[in-house]
Amino acid sequence: MKRALALFPLFALLVVALLAMVTSAFDPRFLVPEHAWLSPSRSHWLGCGDGGIDLLAAIANATTRALFMGATVALFGWVIGTPLGTWAAYRGGVAERLVSRTSDLVQAFPTFLFAMSVLAAVRTPTRMHVAVVFCVTAWVPFARLALAEARVLRRASYIEAAEALGASRTRVLLVHLIPGVLAPTSVQFGSSAAAVVIGEAALAFIGLGPRDGLSLGALLEQGLFAMTRAPHVLVATVLVLVATNAALLVSGRAFQSVRGSHVRRHR
Amino acid sequence: MLAPKLEAQTPAKSVRALFLRVLESVLVVFVVASITFFALRLLPGDPALLILGDQASPEALAHVRAQLHLNEPLHVQYARFCFRLLTFDFGESLRWPGSEARTRVLLALRPTSELAVTSTLLGAIFGTGAAVLASGPWLGRYFRLVEWVLTALAAVPLLALAPLLTWLLAVRFHACALPSDVESGPSALLFGAALLAVPLGAHVGRVARGSLAEVSRALYLTTARAKGGRALRVWFVHALATVMGPVVTTVAAQLGALLGGAVVVERLFARPGLGSLMLEAYASRDLPVLEGAIVASGALFVMAQAAATGVHLLIDPRARPERTKSRA
Repeated sequence: MKRALALFPLFALLVVALLAMVTSAFDPRFLVPEHAWLSPSRSHWLGCGDGGIDLLAAIANATTRALFMGATVALFGWVIGTPLGTWAAYRGGVAERLVSRTSDLVQAFPTFLFAMSVLAAVRTPTRMHVAVVFCVTAWVPFARLALAEARVLRRASYIEAAEALGASRTRVLLVHLIPGVLAPTSVQFGSSAAAVVIGEAALAFIGLGPRDGLSLGALLEQGLFAMTRAPHVLVATVLVLVATNAALLVSGRAFQSVRGSHVRRHR
Repeated sequence: MLAPKLEAQTPAKSVRALFLRVLESVLVVFVVASITFFALRLLPGDPALLILGDQASPEALAHVRAQLHLNEPLHVQYARFCFRLLTFDFGESLRWPGSEARTRVLLALRPTSELAVTSTLLGAIFGTGAAVLASGPWLGRYFRLVEWVLTALAAVPLLALAPLLTWLLAVRFHACALPSDVESGPSALLFGAALLAVPLGAHVGRVARGSLAEVSRALYLTTARAKGGRALRVWFVHALATVMGPVVTTVAAQLGALLGGAVVVERLFARPGLGSLMLEAYASRDLPVLEGAIVASGALFVMAQAAATGVHLLIDPRARPERTKSRA
């Protein structure tokens, strides 16, 4: 029960963002130049941003998209990284060393720099491009966790029993090992998604985001540009960014099983 | 006595480990640079069109293709690229004809290194200071407060914190000049470095607090107290020495975040530097400069990490074999 409570902030954020997106009378891409940088009012609850876009609609859209992208990339990393790490640990030897060292090296290199160098090859980065770049490194923390988990698990007596009963290595891996590792590695889900949300915002902030401007980073950039005359844009976006990050980080605890308590936490 | 945490290594072994580490990191930089190379040439879309835009004349396109050697076979291009990596020579900047890409990158390295070094120092001081404050007897039972603050700061992304703090300090409360003002000079550097130091310091503080909590009941601290050492001396001289290793390791682990943060801070304050150069080169698709900047920042990162490993061996006597033996 208490664990499910950890999902509440994320759930609340998503519901509020979706509600604001659906009920808003404004299109976040619709420009009304005479409303540029309006302060919060009855009709525009959070005021207006650059070109007179409704800030509430823009933030709600950006947050929903960011959450969706973070969840998708984290899911991808989980689905790829966990079996990979488990396989490497079960296989042992060269495979184990290779996966372990590769993930060490990938994790050591700044994702941000990597994303920038790859995105230089496309004319205008779309949300899809950014997501693909993050997917390239998303499997790493999951693989590391799965390695650590499976190293312990592979010596469990039920694995030995399955092997003794004549189960093939593939069967042991698929039926007995991977399901046992999936739960402990899901702890990483929240922080991975949070890293993607922040990374996407950072890329959009420095101008490598989607053209439609529906990103928290692009809104942050707007707010920074107008921080002397319209500080509400900056403050609202920063608060939502912090809240999204915190909600995702906290949500990871929902998956923390009793068994997984010894799992090392990664950033 | 505190048990040595690190495996005793012979000097030759640690040098070899360090060398392997550097070799691996160089390999990573090489792989990332290669990915950039192939992404640009193998993904759909003509790089020359990407640089000049759709309205470019065929002659101009042909000129850029020749300048970037895009008309040669891929393996020749790649061989040339590898050679350029070795010599750190990326050719002429496309945006500013006549200036070498290498010169521009080297010029940009200085402000970024200044920013990184200052923020690393500030972060290490802030983090270890907070950790000692939380571990010592000064705060009584309020020491948890420091831990909470550190946890909260570590969870707030720099991307959100930096603009907000800038707005609060420079615009709302006029506590300092807007760092992008030309005349603000060294205070701008300090301000930007302090922003970068907040998350770094929070991470350092949490790690240092953890290792201080481990040694807080160690006998050698009791001995120091029994000999009449004041709390200040016990914690800052005797206890702090043991956390230096973990602090250096944490700083090294956070270097990537620091580099990304430097790009954000440079963008925030319109500071010149590697990040600004990369963004400018990216916007105008000045590929030689972009390639050079990415390789340079990767190399900077690699060197800093190797240096951190070396410093760790140097300052942590537990990592050195002779001392470990004489103590045991």
